Amino acid sequence: MSMFVIGYYAALITASCIAAYFQNRKAFMLLFSLTLVSFVLGIVGGVPALRGVTIFAGILALAAGTSYAFREFLIQVCSPAIAKELRTAPLTAAFGMFVIFTYAIAGIFAPWIAPFGQSEVIASAFEPPNEDMLLGADQLGRDMFSRIIYGARNSVGLALVATVLAFVIGALAGLYSAVKGGWLDQLSGRVADVIMSVPSLIFALLILSIFGTNLWVIVLVVAIIYSPRVFRLTRAVAGNVVVMDYVEAAKVRGEGDWHLIRKEILPNSTAPLIAEFGLEFCFVFLLIAGLSFLGLGIQPPTADWGSMVRENATLISFGDITPLIPAAAIALLTVAVNFVVDWMLFRSSGLKEQ
Amino acid sequence: MRDILGLVAKRLGLGLVTLLVVSVLIFFAVELLPGDIAQAVLGQMATEETLAQLRVEFGLDRPAVVRYFDWLAGAVTGDFGTSLIDGEPVTAKIADRFVSTLFLAAYAAVIAVPFAITLGIIVALLRNSIFDRVANVVTLTSISSPEFFLGYILILYLAVKWSMFPAIASISTGMTFLELLERTFLPALTLVLVVTAHMMRMTRAAIINLLASPYIEMARLKGAPPWKVIVRHALPNAWAPIINVVALNLAYLVTGVVLVEVVFVYPGIGQLLVDAVAKRDFPIVQACCLIFAATFILLNLAADVGAILTNPRLRHPK
Repeated sequence: MSMFVIGYYAALITASCIAAYFQNRKAFMLLFSLTLVSFVLGIVGGVPALRGVTIFAGILALAAGTSYAFREFLIQVCSPAIAKELRTAPLTAAFGMFVIFTYAIAGIFAPWIAPFGQSEVIASAFEPPNEDMLLGADQLGRDMFSRIIYGARNSVGLALVATVLAFVIGALAGLYSAVKGGWLDQLSGRVADVIMSVPSLIFALLILSIFGTNLWVIVLVVAIIYSPRVFRLTRAVAGNVVVMDYVEAAKVRGEGDWHLIRKEILPNSTAPLIAEFGLEFCFVFLLIAGLSFLGLGIQPPTADWGSMVRENATLISFGDITPLIPAAAIALLTVAVNFVVDWMLFRSSGLKEQ
Repeated sequence: MRDILGLVAKRLGLGLVTLLVVSVLIFFAVELLPGDIAQAVLGQMATEETLAQLRVEFGLDRPAVVRYFDWLAGAVTGDFGTSLIDGEPVTAKIADRFVSTLFLAAYAAVIAVPFAITLGIIVALLRNSIFDRVANVVTLTSISSPEFFLGYILILYLAVKWSMFPAIASISTGMTFLELLERTFLPALTLVLVVTAHMMRMTRAAIINLLASPYIEMARLKGAPPWKVIVRHALPNAWAPIINVVALNLAYLVTGVVLVEVVFVYPGIGQLLVDAVAKRDFPIVQACCLIFAATFILLNLAADVGAILTNPRLRHPK
């Protein structure tokens, strides 16, 4: 038995005892069940498995620490009203905000952060990492790390534009339908039904086969595919607001539709819409990543996470994880947005599960 | 009973109409092509004569509406025309691949459905415990990952590092059923991971929603044992949401299968579709889209009909 294993169990059991002494039931249950699971893991997988658990716990602790610090930082920086809300954010939401913040920085300052240009060939194909290139070279000898940084700008930027467009289309249609009612409402409802009855990826493939993989076609198609979701939500939320007395009062005052939408209805339906924006972004981002992976998204040589996975996939059969990094970047951002959305939904609905 | 049949018939009729509208959409989308199919096939350099000849060959000289009904009649009888690239009948290309795709989806569904529903119910009963929190984070991560990420992780560990399963799901006709199951295990597992996460979360939400209703509290208050509350009181009303969850996720499988097939080089209809899109082979694109959309609509329809049929308030009218 190595020193590592002895130290491992000693640390776990000590931590369990401390948790038990301070009557922290949850922490105790977690630590002690981890000890028990480790026995099994240790027998099956030996020392490497236990090392894996340690590294995993370390990463988790690091993430938790970072999120905690980031939340405190935000609380200090923001105005008192927002700071009060932020205090209620769980660590997962803080982690999500931290990740989004990092991606935003990477995307905005990509040319300054990345050591090389996104289509600059600097080495031979699939060159392993060295002191110049953190993650090695890709299939054409471009720096992998720089391309991942640029990918934050291109992939996320494209998804963001498509989401905003989907939101503008869906929300405007939803608000107008709620205010106007009648045939306009019926028509937009049916159109939304039809669009939603075709699987999104299939719809996108159909349109892209016809118009080719142009950047604007992608943005437009994705926006149209996902606008019905926004439409339905906006229609439902606005439908509840439209029947309020103050909207009636504004109508009697003789205000126009645009005023009704902008001044009366929109301010009272923002909370669910913001959460929906996050969710919608995840869907759009995953769809565009899928299209890029199929070779139908952003075209080379522009760096894009989905196509990077596809281009370097051969490395995986040699046991190299570099091609998975862009895929992991996609997953991490989606998870982060979902964490934040979860917290917002929880807050805005006042939902307290029993 | 007549109420139910009426409702079901109405829903089926609505589904049929949707399918028709979608077929119109799929057919006329191609009509939006700048120029027309003949031009797309021959490219910029084509002369007027060859264009005209090809138009006659494709029947493009007839009005679009007539061609639509031709196409629809063909699609209903299983004839999707011929491929633009090699002139082979589309149906022959699709038939085998469609069976392969159905096999993969069914394989994933058979594992995922019981697994996910059981886990979903357990998580709902243990809600807000550590176990529930962990399950929440894990399923959220699984949903948020693109299918190809999960697929490649499985390839990296289960195929390359530990060589337990083949990385490429190549199948041929002479294989035994067991061999087939082994070869397609990784793609099926990828789908299972994605769908299980979705299904678990939805089942959890449905059950918690149910457990919060007053009649469950009444059952608890009158002293019914916990298992009886679940089996006798909650479950009859839970069937509708659970069937809904299952059907919706099977519909989700339909889309997920495209990416997974490409990752594992599985000879299914999804890969055919992606290839056809890249080559702009419209008859194949149209046929594949119609099949995917029809499956999707059918499963959504099944969800609604299932919800109607399992509604105790409809089954036992006053």
